This record gives sequence, C-alpha cells and structure tokens, in this order.
Amino acid sequence: MASDEEYSEAESDDSLYNYESRNTSVDLICPKNPNLTSDDSEFDIDEVDSSDYDEEDDIDNSLLATPVSPSTKKALSEGSVPNLKYECLTTKEIYEKMLKRINHLQPVFSIPPDDVLVLMQHYDWNEERLLEAWTEKMDELLQQIGLKSAEVNGSSDVRGIKHRNDFMCIICCEEKNTDTFSLECGHEYCLDCYRHYIQDKLHEGNIITCMDCSLVLKNVDIDQIMGHASSTKLMNSSIKSFVQKHHRNYKWCPYADCKHIIHLKDTSSLAEYGRLHYSPFVKCSEGHRFCFSCGFEIHAPADCNITSAWVKKAKKESENLNWVLSHTKECPKCSVSIEKNGGCNHMVCSNCKYQFCWICEGDWAPHGKSFYECTIYKNDDTKSKGAQEDPGKQLKKYTFYYRLFNEHEVSAKLDWKLGQTVGHKVKALQDRMGVSWIEGLFLIESIKTLNEGRTALKWSFAVAFYSDASHNLTKIFLDNQMLLAKAVEDLSELLQIKEPETIMKRKPEFYNKSGYVENRRTALMECGRDLLCKGICKPHDG
Amino acid sequence: MASLPKRIIKETERLISDPVPGITAEPHEDNLRYFNVTVEGPAGSPYENGIFQLELYLPDDYPMEAPKVRFLTKIYHPNIDRLGRICLDVLKTNWSPALQIRTVLLSVQALLASPNPNDPLANDVAEEWIQNEAGAKATAREWTQKYAKKVEN
Repeated sequence: MASDEEYSEAESDDSLYNYESRNTSVDLICPKNPNLTSDDSEFDIDEVDSSDYDEEDDIDNSLLATPVSPSTKKALSEGSVPNLKYECLTTKEIYEKMLKRINHLQPVFSIPPDDVLVLMQHYDWNEERLLEAWTEKMDELLQQIGLKSAEVNGSSDVRGIKHRNDFMCIICCEEKNTDTFSLECGHEYCLDCYRHYIQDKLHEGNIITCMDCSLVLKNVDIDQIMGHASSTKLMNSSIKSFVQKHHRNYKWCPYADCKHIIHLKDTSSLAEYGRLHYSPFVKCSEGHRFCFSCGFEIHAPADCNITSAWVKKAKKESENLNWVLSHTKECPKCSVSIEKNGGCNHMVCSNCKYQFCWICEGDWAPHGKSFYECTIYKNDDTKSKGAQEDPGKQLKKYTFYYRLFNEHEVSAKLDWKLGQTVGHKVKALQDRMGVSWIEGLFLIESIKTLNEGRTALKWSFAVAFYSDASHNLTKIFLDNQMLLAKAVEDLSELLQIKEPETIMKRKPEFYNKSGYVENRRTALMECGRDLLCKGICKPHDG
Repeated sequence: MASLPKRIIKETERLISDPVPGITAEPHEDNLRYFNVTVEGPAGSPYENGIFQLELYLPDDYPMEAPKVRFLTKIYHPNIDRLGRICLDVLKTNWSPALQIRTVLLSVQALLASPNPNDPLANDVAEEWIQNEAGAKATAREWTQKYAKKVEN
C-alpha cells in the first residue's frame, strides 16, 4: 500500500523537523471572484514564521487549537467575503503535527511520549478533552486506558519477546518451540498468534490491547512483534478516522487516488460564503480544485444548492440517452455517423467536408464571427408566460439545457485529453523552434484557462435552467453565457493547432484569447451570483 | 476444507468432556465448525424452564474473529431480533482471541438473565421493556412456554 511507504519514509526525526519549514498554509482572499485563482502565488511559504518558531506559533498552528479568529477587518476591506483560510495536508503531516504537539505536551504528563500518544489516540486526538480528564483523574485514566496494570503482578522484565521451548499457546493450542510476547500482565502468546491478531486490527485505528486484558500495546511493542514499522499503519488509520470524525473542518480531496486533506481552520466563514452565494472552492497540493461544502468540482456560477438539484435531476435521466446525446451525431448534410474526438465544437465532416456546429448542428459560417446563437433557449411560445407551470415545456427546457451541459462536459473531457498532449507540443516547440520551456508554458496556461472556462460554461446551464427566463437579468446572463461560449470555442480551436511553427506565429492570439476567456468567465460568474442573490435563480423540481 | 485447527479440536473436546451447566454444544458431523447449541433459560428470569436452540459457526479466521451465534428458537428479548441475531459486545467489538466458545455461550446465557433495553436490537421489544417491564416479562414468559418448552423424554 502506498500510504505505508509514505509513512515509513517519514519516520526519521529530521523529516519531522523539515515539516516546519514546509508550512503550506494558504491564505486566500477572494474579493470578487469565488473561483480561486490558479496561480501558485497563493501558496505563501511562511519562512520567517517557521524559523522563528516559538510556543505561541505552535499554539496558533496547532490543529487542535480553537479556530483561528478570522481577520475580518482585512476581509471586509477587500470585499464582503471572508478569507478562506485553509491548508492542505496528508495523513502523515497531520500525524507529524500530532507528534509535535505530544512532544510539546509531554512535560505536562511526565510520562513517556509513547504513552501520551496512546492517550491522545484514546481521546480521538482531542487535546483539550484529554487535558481535562488528565487533571481530574490521572491514575484512574492510566488504568482505564490500559497504560497501567491494575493487578501489578509482573515486573517490567516480563514485558517483551522471549524464546520458549515446548510453549503451549492458549490461542492456537499448538505446543512448540517458539518466540512469545507478553506485556506486564504476563498474558503470553506465541508471536504467530500475536501477529495475526495485530494485523487484523491495524486498519481499524483503535488502540490495540493485550488479548486477555486491557493493557495497551504501544507502538514500540507493535513494531517489535510485527518486525517492521507497522505502527505507522495503525497511526495512519487512526488519523483517517480522526479526519472522518472532524468532517466539518477536514475534507478528503475527492479526486481519485488523491491522498490530500484540506483543513479549513475556521468554518464560520462557510456560512458567510453560503449567504453570498459564493462557494468555498479549495485546491489541494496536487492542484485538484473542489468545493469544500459539497465536495463537487468547481461549479461556479452555480452554487451548491443549484448544483445538487441539477445533479439529482441529471441522475434520473437514463444512461443510454446520455450516451447517445453526448457521443454520436449524424452529419446534417450526408448523415454519416460522427463521433466527436476533439474539444472544439466546430465540426468538419470527413465525408462531405460540411462545416457545422456540433451543438446546434447548423452551418458553422454564422458562428464564426458575429453571433453565437447556440446557447439561447428559444422559447417557442413567447406569448404564454406560464411556461413554468407546463411540465411538457419544463421537460423540453431541461432537455435543452441538459444537452448543452452534457456537450460541454464531454468537450471538457476531450479538452483534458488535449491537455495531456500539450506537453508534447511544448516539447516540439523546444526541439524544432528552439523555444525555452518557460516560454512554451503559455500553451499549458491556455489549456488551463480553457478548462476553467468550459467548466464555468457547463455549470452556467444549470443556473440558466433554474432561472426565471422572463427576468431581464436572466437575459443578461444568457448573453454573457453566449460570449463565454464563443470565447471558449475560439480558444479551443486555437489549441487544436499541431504545427509548432503555426503555434509560435499565433502566440499573441493565445494570449489574447485566453485573457478574453478569463474576462468573460469572471463576468459570467458575477452575473450568475447576482441571479442567485436576488432569488431569480433557485432550485425547483421542474 | 483445510484441517481443523488444534484450537477448535481442543475446545470441542473440552465442551464434551467438561460441559458447562445448562449449555450443550455439539459439532455437526459433516462440518466441525458448525455447532448445534442449546441454552437453558436462567433461573429467576422470564426464560426459566425454557430450552433455547442456537446455531454457532466458527469462521475461518477463528479465534481471531468472533464466532457467529444466532438463536433458532423464537425469543422475546430486547437484544435479540426476530431473526435470532444477538446484540452482544463480545460477539462484536469486544471479541478477543482469548475468549472461547464456552465463554461466549455463558455471555449469551447471562444476557438472558439481564436484558439491556437501553442498547436494543429489537426496538419494539425494548420500548415495551422500558415502558411496561412487567408486561414485557410476561410476554417473554409466554413465548418461552410457547416456543422453548422442554421436551420431556
């Protein structure tokens, strides 16, 4: 298991030390744009702070300290949204922080750090509760948790591994020459049984005790019995359950195979975010971005409510319909079946060379320059304003928007594939044009902008669906949507270019179009938030 | 099936040679991990004079994993549901390899003597037990008479 390896690497003392200088506390200010900026400057590595490490800092940085009071003054001057103060951690890092705390607290307990560790584990890593209990009933606690034997019959030399001839283990009932283990209680079993017993319990993350009494097996015992650093696995499981129990402050990155955890220090800002229809988007160290509230991808301009309503609705749709909608289309001219294999919606039929728009299946020519009509939902019957009540019309409206949503989702996936090849393109630029890697980065940046634009566009259809179509702001929103759609298509098309020479020649266009997409996206998101704040867009069951 | 672990052989032998009073456990001929169990209702409890049939199965990982025990006889008890499943700590989180078949069955018998309606498995029974203990015990006695009556040979 990968996590095991991760752990054992971190065993040495200096990795613990290093961690302090690797403080990746992220301080985000989002005055206008809820979609957190993607450049790396947001990671302010606080070197000064960590080298000047003193006790006060320790308490401030502690995971278990009460939430950091938000720097409200600053936030208010920057806009109405409070800072989203979070950090990205791994279980290993959380554990290291815990260890640091334990070393710090150890003088209070005057018992070995290993014992403090067990106490902390017992109290779900809740330092305050532990300290409270400790001051109340020290000895009782040690006995209750099993750090001290009630019936002290064995001296400490009973503890440990011994070799025995003709040992009869009462667990397996085998009589053999074997190594055995026992704690101070003297309950002695063969190592095979002990290993089997511990192995089964490592993933649970609970304290492991002697098989016959409540005396605790400490990490050193576990490692001694298992013969390698198994206790790290136990600690890992324990931290995992800690994260699960504190899901309000800690969230796993939802991306597949990502082992990072986002720790939001102050959840009070979440309510404020919700009230203003911002979403608390966060980014893990792997660059995965998601919404801290709902765990979904970046869904702006939609908020969490719209998102969940939309997703629920989409789930009702049949899988087949989705596939047909998203994967195949016939050429409007020659009816040959076409599968979309690139992100751009500008299609050229390989059979008859007809150029059309993938979304509306109309001729591409009108899309090229002036007006991008594909995102307008044409209300057939403009006279009847009671469209909301008509289920048939609702369904039609939904199908229309869902289709658009789906188109862009598929396009986004294809864009992502395009992104995979962009490295090769940059390489080609280097090899054939003598362009430096840094100089070639504009391609990667463009892909990123394209992805963000496309995601925003995608979710804007959910907003559009739930918005009151008769309202002027909705119309403005739809206009903004069209402009973004156009901008995204243009950029996507630009990114299809394969020849390095052409790419370099058109480099300024990359910059211009990316910048334009970025502007349009910001505008669309502001507009969408306006709809939400004014209650023009709200989830309904239509 | 792999050969039976020594531990199971020893426990089985001892269950037969030195049986626990009020409890019998016999392995099936064709599956030595599967036991037919009877437990006598403890004296002074509503289950007194009843003989309850149970099944007990030792999973592959026994004794690292707890045995699986289920009542076959219908019983009115807040910690035993209609399917005969038992809510008992030593069968779940508090299992330890140092426990044995006999200790588990003794715990089951003890559960009959002292039901715990505050940690229920059969919610309706537990509710009745809390609100109207006398009535619930009467029902338990009635069920014992009806379903768990000793068959005199």
